[in-house]
Amino acid sequence: MKLLKRLLKDKLAAASLAVVAATLLIGLFAPLFAPHPPNEANMELRFAGASWSYWLGNDHLGRCILSRLIYGIRPSVLWVLAALGAAACFGAALGFVAGYFRGRIDAILMRVCDVMLSFPGYVMTLAIVGMLGAGLANILLAFVVMKWAWFARVIRTAVMQYADADYVKFAKVLGMGHFGIMRRHIAPAALSEIAVIASSAFGSMILQISGLSFLGLGIEAPHAEWGMMMNEARSVMFTRPELMLAPGLAIIAVVSAVNFLSDALQKALDPKLAVSGKRTSVFAGGMMRGLRKKEAA
Amino acid sequence: MGLYVLKRVGALAPLLVVISFLTFILNGLSPMDPAEVVLHAQGVPSITEELIAATRAELGMDRPLLARYWDWLLASIQLDFGDSYITGKPVWSLLGPALMNTLKLTIVSSLFIIALSIVLGVLCALREGRWLDLSVRGVSFLLTSMPAYWLAALMVWYFAVKLDLLPTSGMDSANSYVLPVAVIVIGYAGIYFRVVRSSMLSNLNEDYVLYGRACGIPERRLTMHVLRNSLQVAVSVFGLAIPIILGSTVVVENIFAWPGLGTLTVTSILGRDFPIIQAYVLVLAVAFVLFNTGSDVLNAAMNPRLRKEL
Amino acid sequence: MGRNKIVVLLAFVLAIAMLAGCSGNKGNGGSAGTEAEVRELVYATAKDINDMNPHLYPGSMPAQGIIYESLVENTPEGIKPLLAESWDISEDGKSYTFHLRKDVKFHDGEPFNAEAVKQNIDAVQRNGSKHAWIKLSTKLAEVSAVDEFTVKLTLTETYYPTLLELSMTRPYVFISPKDFLNGETKDGVTGYHGTGPYRLEEHVTEQYASFEANEDYWGGAPAVKKLTAKVLPAGETTLLALQKGEVNFVFTDDRGTDSIDVDAMQRLADTGDYRIVRSEPMNTKMIVANSSQTASPVSEKAVREAIWQSIDRETISRTIFGGTETPADALFSSNVNYADVGLEKREYDPEAAAKLLEEAGWTTASGAEIRSKDGRQLTMKLYYDVNSSSQKTQAELLQSEVLKIGMKLDLVGEESSAIAGRRSSGDYDLLFNQTWGLAYDPQSTITAFASDNAYLHTTSGIPRAEELYAKIEQVMVSTDEETRKGLYKDILTIVHEEAVFIPLTNGSVTIVAPSDLVGISFKQTQFELPFERMSFQ
Repeated sequence: MKLLKRLLKDKLAAASLAVVAATLLIGLFAPLFAPHPPNEANMELRFAGASWSYWLGNDHLGRCILSRLIYGIRPSVLWVLAALGAAACFGAALGFVAGYFRGRIDAILMRVCDVMLSFPGYVMTLAIVGMLGAGLANILLAFVVMKWAWFARVIRTAVMQYADADYVKFAKVLGMGHFGIMRRHIAPAALSEIAVIASSAFGSMILQISGLSFLGLGIEAPHAEWGMMMNEARSVMFTRPELMLAPGLAIIAVVSAVNFLSDALQKALDPKLAVSGKRTSVFAGGMMRGLRKKEAA
Repeated sequence: MGLYVLKRVGALAPLLVVISFLTFILNGLSPMDPAEVVLHAQGVPSITEELIAATRAELGMDRPLLARYWDWLLASIQLDFGDSYITGKPVWSLLGPALMNTLKLTIVSSLFIIALSIVLGVLCALREGRWLDLSVRGVSFLLTSMPAYWLAALMVWYFAVKLDLLPTSGMDSANSYVLPVAVIVIGYAGIYFRVVRSSMLSNLNEDYVLYGRACGIPERRLTMHVLRNSLQVAVSVFGLAIPIILGSTVVVENIFAWPGLGTLTVTSILGRDFPIIQAYVLVLAVAFVLFNTGSDVLNAAMNPRLRKEL
Repeated sequence: MGRNKIVVLLAFVLAIAMLAGCSGNKGNGGSAGTEAEVRELVYATAKDINDMNPHLYPGSMPAQGIIYESLVENTPEGIKPLLAESWDISEDGKSYTFHLRKDVKFHDGEPFNAEAVKQNIDAVQRNGSKHAWIKLSTKLAEVSAVDEFTVKLTLTETYYPTLLELSMTRPYVFISPKDFLNGETKDGVTGYHGTGPYRLEEHVTEQYASFEANEDYWGGAPAVKKLTAKVLPAGETTLLALQKGEVNFVFTDDRGTDSIDVDAMQRLADTGDYRIVRSEPMNTKMIVANSSQTASPVSEKAVREAIWQSIDRETISRTIFGGTETPADALFSSNVNYADVGLEKREYDPEAAAKLLEEAGWTTASGAEIRSKDGRQLTMKLYYDVNSSSQKTQAELLQSEVLKIGMKLDLVGEESSAIAGRRSSGDYDLLFNQTWGLAYDPQSTITAFASDNAYLHTTSGIPRAEELYAKIEQVMVSTDEETRKGLYKDILTIVHEEAVFIPLTNGSVTIVAPSDLVGISFKQTQFELPFERMSFQ
């Protein structure tokens, strides 16, 4: 909660948080917000302009663009978040194990991480989609497969750092079990690291999934997804440019909010960063985060 | 130093083996029986179970996995990735030229990204918190949040259609580079600019700068020192940037009909041309690993402190 | 030391900035220059022209059509001479004697003569398994050169579409024997020298191919001296390229796909720079149902009929095609030979479709959106060509229509080559396709019902499949017109009743060309265009 307070002090961060939270809520309760069923086709309204009952107009099948935009939050943002969560849990678990027990487990896990990290993200995603076929599920699977190694790496480092901390050593001496130590001492400290990596990967993943949908490799019809909406608008891009506008702006708004939030989170968690800390490790971490952020796009 | 290089290169071999093996078994994920695919590609009119079995034997599919992997690896090293299912041409005859075209795009873009991010990064770090810094950071932030295809559409509409300055697509002349390169540069310069900037800033706060300043060394000479030190760090980041950009030109290539790897791969995925996908994954993964090691070694050569750490 | 590095760095940055400036300048010069010399046709194609070997199938048919020629030509008035000036058919219909033109040379200067014809046809026959779809290939017994310009083809039995099949774009066309690889064409050829009005000048894979006029063409040198096929993704990229004049010609490709939609074409025509030319309806666009896919609901007749009745062809014609394509109610429109057999029309009627499903045992469990039967869901996959925006729109419309009656369609967009692969391997439930066009309908399309490379999987699952195939065999060798009519009627009735070919619209070939291009006409096939007849005003 202290963290939240510190975050909210920054006005930009507060606004970003509001945008992200609102997006998530609207997506979660899409049926309440959407004025029409998102997949209801009505050829009479093909390419109709904005009207009172269809605020953003209609697409090539006469479907309500606003409703599709709202339902599009689910695959574009919510599912990405879920995949990120899965990758984070999986990676964090392995990272904990590796960092805490060290030894051979650590060595093996880190070699596996090395291999995973040596596949560039976009290439791996394309490989999985290429072999298993286009589709949202396969892309999300590819995300989990690709991203867990990042989490495992960073969590391992964090755990090793904290495992050597005096208070953890003290707890060991007191006879606390492995699980207890992890839960009480290491997990809370490492959580902030997870939050930072996750938030910085989030924006790029949103961009990536919409990019793949744009190429026709992502979500299947008739489901609404922002990249897919742009793909559909693409064929009439110059006759009806307004169709590109809504999904494009939605992506920009959400991604920049997520990125701002990620930055603010980083600063709030590590005030040293704000005054450009001296620790090279922090700096290197920041660097890698920056890199990851644009692995997509 | 020699030892370090040896160690890194030594670690490279097993990594490459594992990567190639993963790529090899990737093909097993595909839902199609390779024997059947080959028969269809040959246009055999009626495919019987016996014929499939015979073809499997002919393709060596009944042999142990490792033996097949070994053959495949040997062939791959000689750039023999088999034939495309769709066109029947050798994969490398399609992938090779596409790789060259993508490399051209990547290298030109990388040069611009590096130049732009160094210039902006240094300027912004020296004017930290002033309007130049703030505005450049703000704009770069917004631009990195933009989907590449959206930006591309916008730029095509404005520069190619409205102003009629540049071609809309293809790779016909030097002008063809302008728009795709611009889209890639805009997408990435923001990130690398931040790396340079924060590297500069952290160096500016180092003790030696304070000490130097206390000793009355002129600010300009200090700045030069800081610049040199920060760029050393940036080099390793840029080393990594090239393969990342190489792997992510997919969207841009598709929009601008650039005859490169990205276009080829997307077409292959949509045409279920598995040998091409497999070769693409292998080539890029290997390139990524090599660049990675290369930039590490380069970095270690420039910065002896790092060598001990690793 | 430090200063030196900075200087070098700054110089580097400056150099790059200047480079940027230069390329920007060139941009201005370049686009101004192209305006002056637009006397060539540059057409956009979503696919590379690929392998131009005319005896295999990966190549682009419009491109092969201008390089290679056949012995005879299919025209609205019937079969006409092309490389053969005249021909005689024996009494029993088993031997054809062709008298060749004497003034024809291949692009590499080799003479076109009886020997070349024999070598070409023999090379095709030696790769017979690939050509099974063209029945002539199974009935050709011998080719012999009678004298330098006379060739005799001997068949094993009478086969009435012989001349029709010899007129097709491939495989019975002629490439210079010098281009043969080890005396064969099946493993590739060393060059692409035909006898046609254009010769292949340059081919850069996945970028462009250029063709130059054959000045020595026996029919007179073409007026348009240069043709270029430029690879561009369909849709807005092509539209932009047309607007800017980077390409100046588009036409419906050999997969029946238009690279830009009806609205965009109209806009181009409105600018006055372009005009639209549409052919007569040439084929029927349809959804093909895989009756042999026993694991899928599509193997049931009732399900196929329900899909048929869920398609609102009027709306598709009016909205998606802007009225340019007419609704189709049967596999062949009634102006196709032998096809005017009075088949019962299945109207758009969702309620009737729902009733069909209900009667067939596909019921909706309470609360479920999708019907099921014996624990199986009423779900199928429909494959469409990713390069065709109209197919995708139709697929989405159908998807939303059938969902209302409790049927789920999963849409999968793939490259047309992958879809062709699915069609021949039978790995599909439903896919978009089209009949083969005037020159091929009905005989070739019907032969294809039984051909593994085409519609064998579509037809083999129906109860009367054996009867169907027997009738197809019969009709091709029948010499009596009335018997033929009867057999065709039976065949068309069977596939119509079984609803394996679900018609959508009657498609035509559409050309968007510069407004000063004249002499635009069409052939009897949707796969070729007579570029040699076009000229700039």
